[in-house]
Amino acid sequence: MTALIGRLLCVSLVLAAGSSTLAAERTGEIVYREMCASCHGPQGEGVPTAYPEPLLGDKSVKELALVITKTMPEDKPEKCSPQDSALVAAYIHDAFYSPLAQARIKPARVALSRLTVRQYKESIADLFAELRPSEQPLKERGLRGNYFPSRRTRDKEKIVDRIDPVVQFDFGEGKPVEDDRLKADEFSIHWSGSIFAPETGSYEFVVKTANGMRLWVNENEVPLIDGSVRSGNDVEHRESRLLLGGRYYPIRLELFKSNKAKEKKASIALHWTRPNHTTELIEARYLSPHRSSEVLIVQTPFPADDRSVGYERGTSVSKEWDQATTDAALEVAALLSKEVNRLANTKSDAGDRREKVQNFTLQLAARAFRRPLNAETQAYFSRQFADNADIDTAFQRSVLLMLKSPRFLYREVEDPANDPWNIAARMAFTLWDSLPDKPLRDAAANGQLANREQIRSQAERMAADPRAQAKLSAFFRQWTRMDALVDIAKDSKLYPEFDHDTISDLRTSLEMSLAEVAAEPRATYRDLILEEQLYLNNRLANLYGVELPADALLAKSSEFQKAKLAGEPRVGLVTHPFLMAGLAYTASSSPIHRGVYLSRTMLGRSLKPPPEAISPILEDLHPGLTTRERVTLQTKSEVCQGCHVMINSLGFTLESFDAIGRFRKEEKSKPIDDTGVYITRDGEERPLRGPREMADYLVSSGESRQAFVQQMFHFFVKQPIRAYGAEVPDALGRSFLQNDQQIRMLMIEIATTVAATGTN
Amino acid sequence: MTFRSSRREFLRDLGLSAAALPFICNLPSLAFANQAQRKQRLVVMFSPNGIVPDQFWPDEEGADFKLKTILSPLESLKSRTLVLNGVCDKIRGDGDSHMRGMGCLLTGTELFPGNIQGGSDTPAGWASGLSIDQEIKNFLQADATTRTRFGSLEFGVMVPDRADTWTRMVYSGANKPVTPIDDPYQMFHKLYGQKKNQESLRSIVDALKDDFRKLQPLVSGEDRQLLEEHATLVRDFERELQANPDGLNHPEPVLEAGIKEENDNIPKISKTQIDLMVQSFQADFARIATFQITNSVGGAKMRWLGIEEGHHELSHEPDKNESAQDKLTRINKWYCEQLAYLAERLAATPEPGGQGSLLDNTLIIWTNELGKGNSHTLNNIPFVMVGNGLDFQMGRSVKYDKIAHNRLLMSLAHGFGHRLTKFGNPDFCGDGPLHGLT
Repeated sequence: MTALIGRLLCVSLVLAAGSSTLAAERTGEIVYREMCASCHGPQGEGVPTAYPEPLLGDKSVKELALVITKTMPEDKPEKCSPQDSALVAAYIHDAFYSPLAQARIKPARVALSRLTVRQYKESIADLFAELRPSEQPLKERGLRGNYFPSRRTRDKEKIVDRIDPVVQFDFGEGKPVEDDRLKADEFSIHWSGSIFAPETGSYEFVVKTANGMRLWVNENEVPLIDGSVRSGNDVEHRESRLLLGGRYYPIRLELFKSNKAKEKKASIALHWTRPNHTTELIEARYLSPHRSSEVLIVQTPFPADDRSVGYERGTSVSKEWDQATTDAALEVAALLSKEVNRLANTKSDAGDRREKVQNFTLQLAARAFRRPLNAETQAYFSRQFADNADIDTAFQRSVLLMLKSPRFLYREVEDPANDPWNIAARMAFTLWDSLPDKPLRDAAANGQLANREQIRSQAERMAADPRAQAKLSAFFRQWTRMDALVDIAKDSKLYPEFDHDTISDLRTSLEMSLAEVAAEPRATYRDLILEEQLYLNNRLANLYGVELPADALLAKSSEFQKAKLAGEPRVGLVTHPFLMAGLAYTASSSPIHRGVYLSRTMLGRSLKPPPEAISPILEDLHPGLTTRERVTLQTKSEVCQGCHVMINSLGFTLESFDAIGRFRKEEKSKPIDDTGVYITRDGEERPLRGPREMADYLVSSGESRQAFVQQMFHFFVKQPIRAYGAEVPDALGRSFLQNDQQIRMLMIEIATTVAATGTN
Repeated sequence: MTFRSSRREFLRDLGLSAAALPFICNLPSLAFANQAQRKQRLVVMFSPNGIVPDQFWPDEEGADFKLKTILSPLESLKSRTLVLNGVCDKIRGDGDSHMRGMGCLLTGTELFPGNIQGGSDTPAGWASGLSIDQEIKNFLQADATTRTRFGSLEFGVMVPDRADTWTRMVYSGANKPVTPIDDPYQMFHKLYGQKKNQESLRSIVDALKDDFRKLQPLVSGEDRQLLEEHATLVRDFERELQANPDGLNHPEPVLEAGIKEENDNIPKISKTQIDLMVQSFQADFARIATFQITNSVGGAKMRWLGIEEGHHELSHEPDKNESAQDKLTRINKWYCEQLAYLAERLAATPEPGGQGSLLDNTLIIWTNELGKGNSHTLNNIPFVMVGNGLDFQMGRSVKYDKIAHNRLLMSLAHGFGHRLTKFGNPDFCGDGPLHGLT
């Protein structure tokens, strides 16, 4: 780390020297070197024998100048004129004195971090998921449907046991299944299994039926919707539930038709409204007949994490956050208290209940703290269970302390020395945003995280876990801006078919492609950039002018098939119509939005905000101009061109996609010009024509690769990449290339690098 | 496994979101704004299966009347009692008498068609409107000077654990039945849960501060700043906990431990729930309460009275079965004893910060889903009122000529200054609130 600081200082000194030779007149820097540096050091860092303290503070330039005029140099204050003081004050303020300057020149470091909201919720869920293992999901999709001849749903009375891919039935006045043992006027059906939530958020469940029904989701005792009393004309029941993304949840649905209730007909459909989607049938791909356990999801709302540096991080605390941790601790403690006997494997009147609950508490604390308890902590929890203490109170208070403790709330706060427990925690948070699981804890306990190879082999195991896929999916969501583009709307006169359902379908389509990449162990960066096939349903196929192959003709609008859009240069997920429509205005494309996305996200270029706010030129003012011509006109001034040279010419390569991301060959009767030029960081000019050349460039470019590596690193680690060594970005980039740009390998490499920092 | 259900209960029990914890009952707006004027209260008590008319209704009208066997527990409260005869539940439509009796009792409106089939008549669903207690609660909660922490509390005694038209009489809206809480411990948690949380939080603060003290030296300079900032938040939090002791103006009640929810514990559960209700009025947690003993068609077996048969089963016995009628009389007298106990407790408790006793400001109204069990009639529904909360002229027996009970429901609202022009089915509200109550 010292070497790194030295190098950084060198760089800035060279820069400083360079700029001073250009300046002919007397600058603050010259004054500083003449009169100040001998005592304060060349960068204000101090000189041990003269003035050892570094020069930093929060005085303004004016105040600083006043102090300098009056007091400096110490031996002869009159030697420094007010003019020189002003110059030198301005110089040191900007170079190293002010907090802003400090932040600028400070080397990147791994900052102590509390759990982010996602890490908190995932950790709580996993803390208890381990106590209640789930079955593995099945390849087979859908729910188990059991059919009964009456309202009684005892297992031995079931007549039919089958898998129903979706719940959407209209039995009319007839039987649900042709079977002599079933009657048309009275039966019940019981569907059960698990449902997969692709992302974190509130899911609304919608059951459409005029018969009696009950629905349970992630809660086996109390129904989410109790429609067992059918009442009035309520044929649609809706209730919402918060779910964490990337997990399966138990689901159960009952339908009953009663011959006494004058119900002639029976029908039912199970729909849902996913976050940022419209209401749709729950497709088989989200359903599995296997049994899963309830997931403990903290309901307490937390303030959002700081994302100002481009990724969520936990480097600050606030009163609201502290209050949220209190509320959440109370919430979890109340839930656990009700289940303590089952969790601790004891009974209310058992003689050894105190001992069992105490032991369970100690185990729980060790898992929450990610390391064996030290003697003091152990003594504290044990004391709670002293002979006369009420066991349940002791348990509740222990859980509260556990979840309020900095040992739970902060990452690696204890024993900063790089012990195996810190390594294990770092791996788990990096790959899962959660706590170490049992195999990882065992590895830590048995000294099997001692070197890079051992660490890598754990990382390989962990990268195949669904939680790693969930985190990768969350990264893709950010990378493709799916999480930011939530209010896409288009001019309804120009694009009448582009309604909310279409947007929802586009989102599903992109999500399915990304999920496929996240799940495929050997998927590469190339697959993301060069993918030519899209998931389409009938609605999207019609709108985007694709004829689905005859064998792919879909019965239902919500079913998706992979297809290539023939006759157009649709290359890579960057050209996915969701992204193209999102990066566009309501009535026209937006080369600027697309160019900014390509520069920043795909090529990792930094762009300053525009020097002045300029509203787009209205199309009406120049009715004859194409979008490209209008944008060129708008940004032609010198002050704009600094950035727009790059932005525009990248964005123009995607001009063949209109405001809804549909392919076009001309605009305003003029052929589309989709040529552009990219000037690389090395100054090389790369002419790019259309999406194909753009994609080919991205997939071969080191800049693009490095940008991807860096963004993925930051998303997974939540610390600045250079804090792990100046060579880390390049080293990761090289290994990514060597590994055929396999994304999972990169994930493993990132986790290994971060975990092994400081080990041999 | 009960993770989800308990979480939902947890949030529901708080009556507010968890985020508002733990200082809820110390919010000035809740604690003080509503203290200026007289605190009026309403309790609706329910017992099922009709009564035994000749052992219930006073023969006389007016102030000079005698209490018969069933109402005899009210002897000492007679001057504060008002017996209304001739009030009928005229709501028709889907559902059998027990269902309509229950679902229309406080809502005054029809049941939706549905799939719940009773002993006869057509199947039905939930009531198509809110109940009068919720209407008045909404009225009180809308005004800062009458607003309370919960607004209303729904107590129950041995209400079966299933939601259907027979088990719900309170509705917060059409198709929105409210589940009564029949477990005293659950009610206790709802009322006092966050106080326990505050105690727990207070008990861990020292250890937590200690934890921070131990960890701070382990982290480097800049990182320590973050921990120190966090430790300051913890100290602020401790100060807030100390500044807000418990927010109660009465000692937290102590419940007898381990009362199981089973038939033979009905007397114990009933007493415990009544005690909690009185305490919650004292603390001004709510101005409206309902007290539902079992449910429509409820089959309590009053073994503590030496009666082995279930109440509902007995209620079908013909008038000439004297033994059954005697048992039914004793059963109903026992219900009346619960009413008397509640009234006496309220009478013995001074109104905090006000004049007189809680009973001076509370009206209890005892009612039933049927007039008479073996005929299943919805005429002459029993309505017995005790207490002076709504300034009705008490100490009387009044006989009306088959008037619709919607008008009585409107009178209750009017007693709170909530001048409804109709409630429930407007066809039965024509003549407005009942004459001759005040």
